[in-house]
Order: sequence, then C-alpha cells, then structure tokens
Amino acid sequence: MAMLEVSNIHTYYGNIHALKGISLTVEKGEIVTLIGANGAGKTTTLSSICGLTKPRQGTISLEGRDLTSVKPHDIVTMGVSMVPEGRGIFARLTVAENLDLGAYSRTPNRQEAEKDLEEIFSLFPRLKERYSQVAGTLSGGEQQMLAMGRAIMAHPRLLLLDEPSMGLAPILVQSIFDIIKSINQRGTTILLVEQNALMALSIASRGYVLQSGQIVLSDTAHNLRENEMVQRAYLGAG
Amino acid sequence: MKTQLKSSLNAGITFGIVSLFLYLIGFTTTASQIIQNLLKLKPASTVLGMDSLTFSFALFIGLIGLWAGVNQARSQKGQPFGTVLLSAVLTGLVHGLIVALAAYITGSLNASGVKMNTYLSQLLPASVKLFLFNQTPVLGALSQLAFLTLTALVGAAVTYGLMVSNVFGKLADAWRSMWKQVNAVPAIAKFRASPYFSYVMYSLLLLVMVFVPLRAGQYWNYTLGTVGIYVLLGLGLNIVVGLAGLLNLGYVAFFAIGAYTVALLTSPAPHGLVWNFWLVLPLGILAATLVGVLLVVPVLRMRGDYLAIVTLGFGEIIRILSKSDALTWLTGGPKGVNNVGGPVLFGWVFDDVSYLYLIFLSVLLAIFVTRRLQNSRVGRAWESMREDETVSRAMGINILKHKVLAFAIGAAFAGLGGVLFAARNQFTGPEDHNMMVSINVLSAVIVGGMGSIPGVIAGAFVLKGLPEILRELENYRVLAFATLLVVMMLVRPAGILPASRRKFEHENAPGNEGSKQ
Repeated sequence: MAMLEVSNIHTYYGNIHALKGISLTVEKGEIVTLIGANGAGKTTTLSSICGLTKPRQGTISLEGRDLTSVKPHDIVTMGVSMVPEGRGIFARLTVAENLDLGAYSRTPNRQEAEKDLEEIFSLFPRLKERYSQVAGTLSGGEQQMLAMGRAIMAHPRLLLLDEPSMGLAPILVQSIFDIIKSINQRGTTILLVEQNALMALSIASRGYVLQSGQIVLSDTAHNLRENEMVQRAYLGAG
Repeated sequence: MKTQLKSSLNAGITFGIVSLFLYLIGFTTTASQIIQNLLKLKPASTVLGMDSLTFSFALFIGLIGLWAGVNQARSQKGQPFGTVLLSAVLTGLVHGLIVALAAYITGSLNASGVKMNTYLSQLLPASVKLFLFNQTPVLGALSQLAFLTLTALVGAAVTYGLMVSNVFGKLADAWRSMWKQVNAVPAIAKFRASPYFSYVMYSLLLLVMVFVPLRAGQYWNYTLGTVGIYVLLGLGLNIVVGLAGLLNLGYVAFFAIGAYTVALLTSPAPHGLVWNFWLVLPLGILAATLVGVLLVVPVLRMRGDYLAIVTLGFGEIIRILSKSDALTWLTGGPKGVNNVGGPVLFGWVFDDVSYLYLIFLSVLLAIFVTRRLQNSRVGRAWESMREDETVSRAMGINILKHKVLAFAIGAAFAGLGGVLFAARNQFTGPEDHNMMVSINVLSAVIVGGMGSIPGVIAGAFVLKGLPEILRELENYRVLAFATLLVVMMLVRPAGILPASRRKFEHENAPGNEGSKQ
C-alpha cells in the first residue's frame, strides 16, 4: 500500500481553481519531488495534504486511511509533518521552544524528548549551539535547519518539505539536501517541493512536474533530468 | 551656524507655545499652588521679597526656562561653550518673547477691565496677575523675558558643565560596576538565579498586602481594591491578548456579566432572589466563561483588527442590552441594581479591610493560574498561535480548542472581577461597564508590558492608582495622566516591566539601534 495516495483533487481559494485534478503517489521510503514554476500549485498540493486547505473534490489517503475529512492537527498525529514555505519558525520563541512545539502532537516524556533532541543535534549541530537563542536571530540557513528539526520532532512517517532551498546560499543548499537525504535514509518518506529542480531531481527517485494546477509529466528522476521539456523549462538548458 | 540658529529658534517657539498653552488653560496657577503646598509655604509669608505664591510661580516658570536651556545644550552636544550659550540665549529670548507678549496683552486687557474668563474659563484675573509676577503689564512682561532668558542661560551652562565632566556617565558606570560586584558574589548570584528568589519577592509582596490595608484607611483601601480588580482583569486580558494574541476590545462584556450575575441574584430588587454571595461567586464566573465560549463561535475565523472590531461591538451590545427598556424587568434598566449582597462568613460581614483581602486573594489565585498556564502545553500552544496560526496548525495544535480556552479563561478572570466589583460597590449599572473599562484594561496590559505578570500589576497601578494620586491636580488630572502615558511609552516602549521576550523584541527591532546612545 502506498504511503501517500492523492487522487484527482481539486482545491480552490474562493473562486480560484488552484488544483485541477492532481493525482500522485508516494511509496514508503521514497523521496518524491514536485517541481514547477511559480503559481503552479506546489504549495497548495502540500497544504491540501496537511488539511490546511481542504480539497473540494478527490481523495487523499495515508497508508490506506482517508485524510480528506481529518482535521489538520489530527493529520499531524497520524504521521504527516510539514516544513512550511519560508520556514515559518516562531520568531519570538527560542530554538528550544520551537523544537518543543514540533513534538506537540506526541507529548513525549522527558527521556524520549532528550533522545529526540540528541537526534536533532546530530543532524543539525548548529541548533545545539543556538539552543536557548531566540529563533528570529538565527541566520536563514539556521532557520531552515530549525524548521526541519522541528518537523522531525513530530516523528513523521511522511515529511513534506516546501522549498527548503529558498533564499539560501548555494553552499548551504547542498548541505540541506544532504541532510534531507540522510533523514530519508533513517526511514522517513519525503515529498519535496522545489523550484531548484536540478537539486531536487538529484536526490529524488521520482518526480512530478506541475503546471497551472495540473500534473503534466511524471517519471523517474533520471528520466526527468533527461527530458527535453524539463531541461528547457526548469533546468536552464538552451 | 545656520542649522544651530534654526534649532534655537524652533526650540524657543516650541517652549513658548507650551508655556503659553499652560498659561491659557490656567495650569500655571494650579502648578504654583501645588509647589506652594509642597514647600509648605504659608500663603501670607514672603520669600525673597515676593509673596509665597508668586515665588512658587517663579519656581515653576523658571523650571520650564531651565529645561529649555538644558534641552538646547543637549541638542548642541559637542559644540564649543560659546555656541551652546549663544543658542541657549536665543532659545530663551524667543521663549521669553512669546511669553512676554502674551503676558503684556492679557495683562493690559485685564487692566482695562476685560473679563477674559468669559472666553477662556481658566484665565482668571488672579491668574493673569500671577503670570505678570504681580507687576504692571510692561514690567511683568519684561521680567518674564529677562527671567526666561537667564534661566535658559543657566540651564545650558550647567548642562554643558555636566556633559563635559560626564558626571552622570561616571555615576552610571560606578553604579553598574557596583551592581556587577554584588552579583559576582557567588552566594548572591546563586540566590538570584534560584527559584527561591521569586518566592522571597512574592512573600515580601504578601507581607505588604497583609499590612497595608490595616493602615491605609477606607479611601485608599477602596482605591487599592479597584487596582486589585484591574489587576485581575489585566491578567485575564493578558492571556487573551498577550499570550494567545487575540485582540479583544470587548473585554468589559465579561466583567459586566459577572457583575450583573451577582447583582441580580443577591439584590432584593428586581428579582427578590437574595442568594448567598459565596454561592453566586462561582455562578458569576461560570456565566462569564460560558459567554466567553459562545463569543468564539462568531469570531473563530477572525484575526487582528477584524477581531478587535467584532469584540468591540460585542462589548457595546452587552452594555446596551443591560440598559434597554425592553429588558428592564430583567436587568433593572438604566438605573442599575442597588443593594447588591456582599460576602458574609459565619455571621462576619466583610468590611473594607477584609474585602481588600478577598480581592488580593483572588489576584493571587489569578497569578498562580496564569503562571501555571503560561509554562504549560496550553501556554506554549497559545504563544505559537500568536506567532503564526497556520504554522501552529501544521504543528498539530488544535486552534479551535485553544481559542476557546483563551477566551474562556480570560472571561472567567473578568467574571470574577465583575462579581467582586459589584458586590463591593453594592451597586452595578450600565455605566459601570462602558467601553472605557476595556480600553483601560488593555492600556494597563500594554503600559505594564504585555505578557508579563509583574507588568500587568504595575500597569494597573499606573492606570487606576496614579489618577487617585494625581487628584491634587484637580482639573488637570487627565491631562497630566495622558502626558505621563505618552512619556512612559516613549521611554519604555515595551512596557514598565516587560516580559523578557518583548523586551528583546523591542531592543532588536530594526531602526531602534540608532536611538540608543
């Protein structure tokens, strides 16, 4: 059974038809990427999965369980966690408090929480140095790490990442993607939304190309990289 | 040179207008009387050849003149002594010229028998005379001019000396290093960092709270009681606005519901239900809480300004309903409810002292609840909601539940406040629950420092205690109070005793670096 199965969802913002029948599947243990231009519906797809914007039509299921009518906070408890676009850290709270909030859906006891923190610090050593600092004072890259660490605190089985490379220096982008890969190797399934298509396709096993609310192409990452249309539109090849 | 000339002229005109304004509203006379009282001068006595009131007035206007000089010296920091003095003299001259002109015109009008207080009610003949140092118009105006120029000169010279020798900087350094040394003592540092420190502080506060009511007398006990009730309201609103970030401007509604519950259930009229106060107390809290929960339904999807407007309307609806003719049978209408029952314990009727203890006890309870909530899962959820509602939903936080909780707990505090308020006054009516209550409570929270418990207490003292202390200023009470609020927010923008989070935020806000010297 697929980890995530989205079939034919239509999501609206008022009268605006943002998603026009999106279908995609993510198998357990995969990294799947969703690429596309601005306004293609990538973020809307993620927030539909999280339940933040409910689709009017179509179904979403997590390991066979229907998510369409589940409240967003219950979806988190079921094992879906999101790193929102633009990081969405709680700027006035400390790094520690941000991480605590990530584990909100689980209510871990002290030992579990300490073990979790250990794991986060092994992935993001910088967060340990910044632990009691207010999150708004972190650099962009550190904030991205915090947002990811916070999402992992929920012990997700499916992690949704919305443009983790946005606004980061190229050298940081590389290390963020390395971390995404290692999170995946620890057993978390990942759905990755990116504008940086080249990077995304280099770590993903499969990918979907989104255009104006519809999926226009879906293939293995390797084939997508070779695809002429993808190269022209997203990879900057003449 | 040109810019300095301009700044001197500007300052002179500003000070001139301020002095003129204070004169026209008659504040110069009131201030002189206050100074006379403060110095304990007898009205008949003479000081330095002047009668004591004129002397007090000279002190007052002299202080303004000095201030003009100090201000000029500060703005010309780093300039040579001559330039500073010159610019101060110029400021003083302009200031004096405006004042002298006003003194001369009003003085001669007064002398020719025009009654100016028909136009400006506070411009009494005595006031005009005082403004002329009890001299003829020409002589009085000239003395004003000379006096204001001289004081500006003195103020600037003294300030220049202080700035050059950096006396205050050295004093501050000395104080800081002394403080550092005290804190460096391991025992003291450890004590300050330990939780016992706050316990000791709170028990000191408790001692004050036990002994002050015994000594303060009825009037101050009443005022302290009002302050206590505002602390209660402030703590409740602090949860809603400070922690959960829901701007509620109709907070008075819950206060009104608490007050009316106790009033209607314990008063012989209009319902004749003379229930026991202790039974009604929880009922009042419960009623307010229920209404708080109900209010969430319409405002669930609203944030920020929209929420503020809707809650503002809600507060007014409750007040207008309580006043309406159609509901007079239920609420007592515009006349309100009299003979509200107070607390009696084993035959002992609460007097002002024991009632104040009851209020203090409620405040302590509210502080305890707030502290526990703030550091709990719920508090953390509220704070994340305040920061970013969408992201906190994505963290698995049930927004609906926490909004309901915030409104309900905030309303419960207000309901308790309302019960205590109505039972103490033995009366409640629609005008006890107007919009100004909401605004005052919100101001107390903001002035004190949003999100901080000591801040709310300080804010309630400033907003409800200060006006009583300023009573001596009579008509100018509100003016002085408003000025104080403006000054306070300029000096401490994050509040008097801000929560560490907000303090941080203000200190690091972009554009704030420049203003720090």
